[in-house]
Amino acid sequence: MISIDRLTFTYRDSEAPALRDVTLGIAPGDFVGVIGASGAGKSSLISAINGLIPHYLRGDFYGSVTVCGLDTVDASLTDISHHVGTMFQDTESQFVATCVEDEVLYGLENFGIPAAEAYPRVAEALELLGIAGLRNRDIAGLSGGQKQKVALASVIALRPRILLLDEPTGELDPRSTQQVFDILERLNREYGITIVVVEQKLTVLAQHARTLVLLDDGAIRAAGPTAEVLQQGDLLEELGLARTGVAEFSSHLMSAGLVGTIATTVDAAEAQVRSLLC
Amino acid sequence: MLMHLDRSAHAAVEFADVSFSYAKCGPSISNITFAVRPGEFVALIGANGAGKSTASKMVNGLLRPSAGTVRVFGTDTAGVKISALARHVGYLFQNPDRQICQQTVGGEIRFGLQVLGFEPSEIDARTARACETFDLDVAANPFALSRGERQRVALASVLAVAPEILVLDEPTTGLDARESRAVMEYIAGLNREGRTTVIMVSHDMDAVAAYASRALVLADGELVADAPVDHVLRDTEVMRRASLVPPQIHELSARLAPDYPDLSDFTCPREMANAVIELAEGGDGVEKSA
Repeated sequence: MISIDRLTFTYRDSEAPALRDVTLGIAPGDFVGVIGASGAGKSSLISAINGLIPHYLRGDFYGSVTVCGLDTVDASLTDISHHVGTMFQDTESQFVATCVEDEVLYGLENFGIPAAEAYPRVAEALELLGIAGLRNRDIAGLSGGQKQKVALASVIALRPRILLLDEPTGELDPRSTQQVFDILERLNREYGITIVVVEQKLTVLAQHARTLVLLDDGAIRAAGPTAEVLQQGDLLEELGLARTGVAEFSSHLMSAGLVGTIATTVDAAEAQVRSLLC
Repeated sequence: MLMHLDRSAHAAVEFADVSFSYAKCGPSISNITFAVRPGEFVALIGANGAGKSTASKMVNGLLRPSAGTVRVFGTDTAGVKISALARHVGYLFQNPDRQICQQTVGGEIRFGLQVLGFEPSEIDARTARACETFDLDVAANPFALSRGERQRVALASVLAVAPEILVLDEPTTGLDARESRAVMEYIAGLNREGRTTVIMVSHDMDAVAAYASRALVLADGELVADAPVDHVLRDTEVMRRASLVPPQIHELSARLAPDYPDLSDFTCPREMANAVIELAEGGDGVEKSA
């Protein structure tokens, strides 16, 4: 679905590469979490997948990126965007309309979707995000969390095969964050959409992502099943990434030889304790 | 105009029956009463749209109550200009891009100090100190920096004024774990050593648990809890009503406590793991001796 082969990219006006010799394959239907400190190259990786690199964000590009069979250097941004939907970090900069319905319609109209199909899709996307009641509201009057859901609805309405999200829950409260990830999980499981999400909240990522990619200074330091990456406590510590509470808790049990795997959720940690103490 | 501060006042910030509603739409708050003591570190928590930012903006006069009174060190803020309040109440916006307006980091930090009428030599000294503290290049263009770096610029600008009260709207949004810890440790230091009163709006329950001593919980514009942080984080009813999720170890501890009383009240992963290890090994011992 996504194949990145030895990609090194340096932004114009910059000396150091933003991505260094990145090789990564993402299978259809995977749910991938991208983690790393600020400036590690997480947003650049997203831009390399959706084609903004090298089409819009110029620089020196070595290696290749193939998305849904399209080489991102040869294909146009329009072609790539039919397969890949992106929700950017700064949702404010993403909005083009003043009212919620128009915002979600905008992308559909650009894709040439006829009105008879576009309106039901708007309703479906808003329903899925639990914001059907905001349909006729002014975006300017919404809270930060509501705006983020509107931005996500606009992308989901386009029904992309791959959904890229750059810190989608930055301004959301914990319950709304959970809701967004539940929605992503549903899109992933029920609709088979491949998800790649940059997220600082490791707690929530650990619950939903099946694969974690750990970036450091533009290079991949670890990539693999979530529990395996979370097991590398020293590496996470070195890169300044706080491990989740239960992963740290569970790793102490593992060091003591009491459990064989790292728990990534509170449910899993609870089960570990109950089986130990029963 | 300078504001008269009664530093012997019982409360640094006091809300008495405060209500507010936006003219068009937005989170309103109703009949909120609380007091924050000088030197306290209070978290203001709740769901998106619960009124946290609205309440926090009333501390420095960005919003004025529709009813009720907001006092800062005993002075009713109703008759005080924002510029006078700003000398004493620093406000960090949720999004640094709402705050940053100058072309250089140094210019940004100087801007706030100039507006508040500091002497030029004082402005120079404070700007240099703020850049050093926050590891910022004075000549850098803030708009070319990362989100985390811009957050540091915004925070440095607020703290250069050395306000007695610091209101922080989601200070760690967009920061990675290391940056978050650095920012929070710095604020905690000001609170501990400088006796700066801190009111922090946050969704980061780990940061709330680690740094705040007391939590004010808002839900639908009402104050539904005002209690020590640990107490609030273990109150499942309040947490549910406020759409909040407790830190994982608080939750794990709360779930296991009914069956294993020795595992209640834990907040630290290592300490809780040690308690489990002790119980597990103790259990083995009992079995062996039996």
